[in-house]
Amino acid sequence: MKMRTSLSNAAKAAATIAALGLALTACASNEAPAATSTTDTTTASVTATVPALSGTLNAGGSTAQTAAQDAWRAGFQAANAGVTVNYDPVGSGAGRTGFASGSYVVIGTDDAFSATELSSTTFTLCATSDIVEVPAYISPVAVAFNLPGITSLILDANTAASLLSGKIKTWNDPAIAALNPGVTLPSTAVTPVFRSDKSGTTGNVTDYLSKAAPSVWTYGMVENWPTDLTGDAANGTQGVVAAITGAAGTVGYVDFSQTTGLGVASLINAGSPVAPNAAGATKTLSASTPQTGRSATDLAYDVNRTPSDPTAYPMIMVSYEVACAQYKDPANAALAKAYMSYVVSTEGQTAAAGNAGSAPLSSDATVASAVATAVAAIS
Amino acid sequence: MTRTSLAIPPLRPGRGARRADTVATIVMWACALIGAVPLVGLLWTTISRGLARLDVTFFTQSMRGVIGPGGGALHALMGTALITLAATVLAAPLGLITALWLVEEADRSSSPGVRRFGGTVRLVVDVMTGIPSIVAGLTVFALITLVAAPGTRSGIAGSLALAIIMVPVVARASEEVLVRVPEDLREGGLALGAARWRVVTKIVLPTARPGLVSAVVLGVSRVVGETAPLLLVAGFTDSMNYNLLSGRMASLPVYIYSQWQNKGVDAAAYNSRAWTAALVLVIFVLFFQVAARLIGRSRKETQK
Repeated sequence: MKMRTSLSNAAKAAATIAALGLALTACASNEAPAATSTTDTTTASVTATVPALSGTLNAGGSTAQTAAQDAWRAGFQAANAGVTVNYDPVGSGAGRTGFASGSYVVIGTDDAFSATELSSTTFTLCATSDIVEVPAYISPVAVAFNLPGITSLILDANTAASLLSGKIKTWNDPAIAALNPGVTLPSTAVTPVFRSDKSGTTGNVTDYLSKAAPSVWTYGMVENWPTDLTGDAANGTQGVVAAITGAAGTVGYVDFSQTTGLGVASLINAGSPVAPNAAGATKTLSASTPQTGRSATDLAYDVNRTPSDPTAYPMIMVSYEVACAQYKDPANAALAKAYMSYVVSTEGQTAAAGNAGSAPLSSDATVASAVATAVAAIS
Repeated sequence: MTRTSLAIPPLRPGRGARRADTVATIVMWACALIGAVPLVGLLWTTISRGLARLDVTFFTQSMRGVIGPGGGALHALMGTALITLAATVLAAPLGLITALWLVEEADRSSSPGVRRFGGTVRLVVDVMTGIPSIVAGLTVFALITLVAAPGTRSGIAGSLALAIIMVPVVARASEEVLVRVPEDLREGGLALGAARWRVVTKIVLPTARPGLVSAVVLGVSRVVGETAPLLLVAGFTDSMNYNLLSGRMASLPVYIYSQWQNKGVDAAAYNSRAWTAALVLVIFVLFFQVAARLIGRSRKETQK
């Protein structure tokens, strides 16, 4: 009798597990082939042009692109029910290494491959040494601060550099007061907040500071914040936002899309203050030139940090998408080409602008067409 | 000679002894309560933050095409179920047979060499119990890197890593169960002229069955919450994947990590999904632990 009890207990447990398993075998309701619950129908045209695309595309790289990649993957997968796109936000550096070793078919990176990297690296998945490297995520980076009662300030490159490097000690410093007549500045101490991890955002900010305020910012363009500067170190964009939100008197730099609830500085460019905005970011890119000495499909830009247009916002991040110009595996080529085409298309750029607040490429026809041509070369 | 005092033990403890007893009781209760504080705090945090998204959508949707709020963890639940099932299929027989060999063969062997080898196997099993899970993950990662293209991730690789962690747990637990099968039962079977394999299959295994089931369930509860090896070799994806052999497969612990680490713009939605997944995982582990206890308890009853 007792033996039977124990067996029926075991049977009950087994039955529960089985029932659990059965309940799980149902398909995800948001993954029905009809994709009824997916609202994004604007990309339906892509289905018509690339029929019967299927497979898995593994991508990775820049953490700053996470929100944009979410939007792109959602839109692309909605149009191509048979395709799964994965994006690992492992960081730009790890992304470039992964692309070289063949872990990632496509990557997002905040810094273009350098000339040295290009000449010394063999790309495992590529049939030739040529890569397609296009700017696809252009985003204003904001100087964000936390001063109760003050939502915006005007700073020029020199004061921004002084604030971030800790050379200005209090918020009522004459340099800030001179730029902001009529604003009552508190005597709160300035606490700079910077990224503790190697970051493309840091790279773009220091590039701006070294070119627009060379007399104050003497550390050059670096991806790791200089260690001899004081302040609070925070990991990732989310960490910087949390640090600034948590304490009055803090100032740091974050992607503009993440500045909700924080004070944001307008930067003086060509004599007039510009708040971070997508249109201003596009104007800076328009004033920039592609780096020379690269292949036709490698559109790495030298960003002009002192554009002459007074409405251009100069502290922008130009983040790239990278693919092989020619893949060894045609299946990879088809997926990479379709995905990259979607990313740089008007729909893709609009989707990223909606989710991540980036500047759509399409607002600059010259850049957009150069990018489209480069992506079309993927084979 | 001083031992004579023991001849008349005090019937009542003295006042000092009673006071010491009271103090000791209070200290022990206080320690027990302090020990329970982190557990209660952890459960409370997980439940209070996880309840918000414990809805139907969470169990019927994946994360494919989800931006910001909404979405669910069906793909991760499915992945955890498949990966753990495959790991159990790989590890349970290996663990059980190891235990059976140790108890029924090595310990009873007349050859000192076999007995010594049995001792070595026991040592290896004990050492394996202490292997950090990340090492199991790295081992499998190195293995796939050798045989497949770089960056290849699959559910079965995750199962393999979990199986490495599970084998010693199952072997150790079932060995203890098998040792406790009364010797009389074996001798009775042998005396009636049964062959040794018949004694093992018809007497030892049925007697130990609840305990063996309990050992396997214990092994499952040990691996169901593993993150690091799965992050390395099974990877993460937003979409359903029913195929263990091909493509990345999400799992509940990696889902929590990924929701927490790779937040989109609406960070609150990602946090709340992570908490709900943590709550579901805690419930899973609790379920398996309690199941193992219940099955193990009924075994003791049968022995009475």
